[in-house]
Amino acid sequence: MRTRVRTGDPNAFAELFDDHARAVYNHAFRLTADWSAAEDVMSTTFMEAWRRRASVEAEGGSLRPWLLGIATNVARAQYRSNRRYRNAASAAAAANAADEHVEDHAEETAGRLDDRRRISATLTALSSLKRPEREVLTLCLCEGMEYAEAARALGIPVGTVRSRLSRARGKLRKLADAELLRKKSELGGKKTELTRTDRQITGDRGYVIRSAQEGSR
Amino acid sequence: MNASPSQPHPAEWTETQDLLPSVERDLPAGRHQFHKEHMMAQIHEDLRGSRTPAPQRQRNPFLRRAILVPAAAFAVAGAVVAGLALSGGDGDGGRTAVATGPALTTQIGAVDTKGAPQLLDRISLAAADTSGPTAHDGQYIYIASKVASTYSKTVDDKTTIVSKELHSRQVWMSTDGKDGWLIEAGEEDITLAGSTPLTGAYDSLVKLPTDPDVLLKQIYKESDAVRDPEVPRDQAAFVAIGDLLNESYPPADVAVALYKAAAKIPGVVAVDDAVDALGRHGVAIARQNDTDGQRTEWIFDKKTLQLLGDRTVQVKAEKDGEFKPGTVLFTSAITQRAVVDANKQVPGKAS
Repeated sequence: MRTRVRTGDPNAFAELFDDHARAVYNHAFRLTADWSAAEDVMSTTFMEAWRRRASVEAEGGSLRPWLLGIATNVARAQYRSNRRYRNAASAAAAANAADEHVEDHAEETAGRLDDRRRISATLTALSSLKRPEREVLTLCLCEGMEYAEAARALGIPVGTVRSRLSRARGKLRKLADAELLRKKSELGGKKTELTRTDRQITGDRGYVIRSAQEGSR
Repeated sequence: MNASPSQPHPAEWTETQDLLPSVERDLPAGRHQFHKEHMMAQIHEDLRGSRTPAPQRQRNPFLRRAILVPAAAFAVAGAVVAGLALSGGDGDGGRTAVATGPALTTQIGAVDTKGAPQLLDRISLAAADTSGPTAHDGQYIYIASKVASTYSKTVDDKTTIVSKELHSRQVWMSTDGKDGWLIEAGEEDITLAGSTPLTGAYDSLVKLPTDPDVLLKQIYKESDAVRDPEVPRDQAAFVAIGDLLNESYPPADVAVALYKAAAKIPGVVAVDDAVDALGRHGVAIARQNDTDGQRTEWIFDKKTLQLLGDRTVQVKAEKDGEFKPGTVLFTSAITQRAVVDANKQVPGKAS
């Protein structure tokens, strides 16, 4: 796949798009708090990926971290200010609340209601962070990337990824108030989507950090 | 918390996971196909136009800007690496690739914490004697430099510290900062055109106040608006001034004011020895970012006190940091500055 992308095989890009457009779109949403902006970022990201195809290394795993890194840069360039993010986040939360009200009685939407609440909770949590922390957190925690992958995607040292992530986690922990915990118990056993983060966690204090230290020796 | 015993991670991770429920959405109906077709159309158009990787006309204006304006917004080293990431890494599909080598290193010069005001005073006197540029509308500022950098490269799970070896870089900027061109060895040539003027555009330099106090206040204000919160305020201001001095061509009176303003920033020091990208030894005006242990140095010729270039050096080991003290993260030597009549026009050797 990497070789085909590097050499500019159009079919490879079609596959890349089918496989990762959704992930890039959702990642962009977490960074912009705005679904329509996320769509723009997603579209620009793939055009940018096409343009930068020659920079793909021949060896390596999935191209998803590469795409998410590009998306982060695109989103950052377009949505710099925290104030703007917070405004978008509260607008999205308000829109979600309004939808909930309208569709309150339709049984089949119960799952979607939960999703909306969870999206609002995510935005609330993310808007309490500074932009660099938000980027690291979304890559490492939401996308399950390892420190070294996130560092490469963001173009920052691994040490900086770790320090930003630990600051972000500290801030989030403070938000763990009763309301969110109650929401969690309402949601019950819906944990399937969270397993993806396990990979990050095992890497947390294992070889990822060690290999970074070896690299600087 | 109800962390299951089979999970090998501490409870605090579970907490933060619950705060960030992972819900994903599909693109609105039809949009996936719409954007895919749009991308495929662009790809086929590019491929028809040329069999080699084609520079794309429709670029995100912010990305172009990010290459030239990064230091104000991000930490210096981060910005350098981010710039590289944006403009593509190694092996640029058949283009003249820039060689990759081991980490760049240097002797760390000794600091005179009280010496900066005096040295900057001498530097500004020398700058006042230099004839700065005069450019009129339609002309372009041309700056040629040699640059090199060290960065961490990760392949699979292995991170190594490597360098992009010394290579040339040429920048053209229209006087209003809304047009320009960048040629850097190993990278695609790219336009710097955009609706937001580039930092350090001639017109904006000419308008800067020449009273150092007023100027410094303005620098702080502008840098506060965009700086990365992780970069200390004084460091961001120092770097912002450096951006206006280095890959830039300020009129003499503005350069003098910039040096005098820099002398007023807390933590700015004189360094007895620093080497520019071309290996020329000089003295430096510098400031250390205590957050990451990296020092940004503006290097001047020892005798003439003309600006030679700038560099960023890891001077203090960072906790869990990747770069050993003595690593040069980025280095640049200015080789030519000129006013030319058109974009991409190279000045005569005499200028």
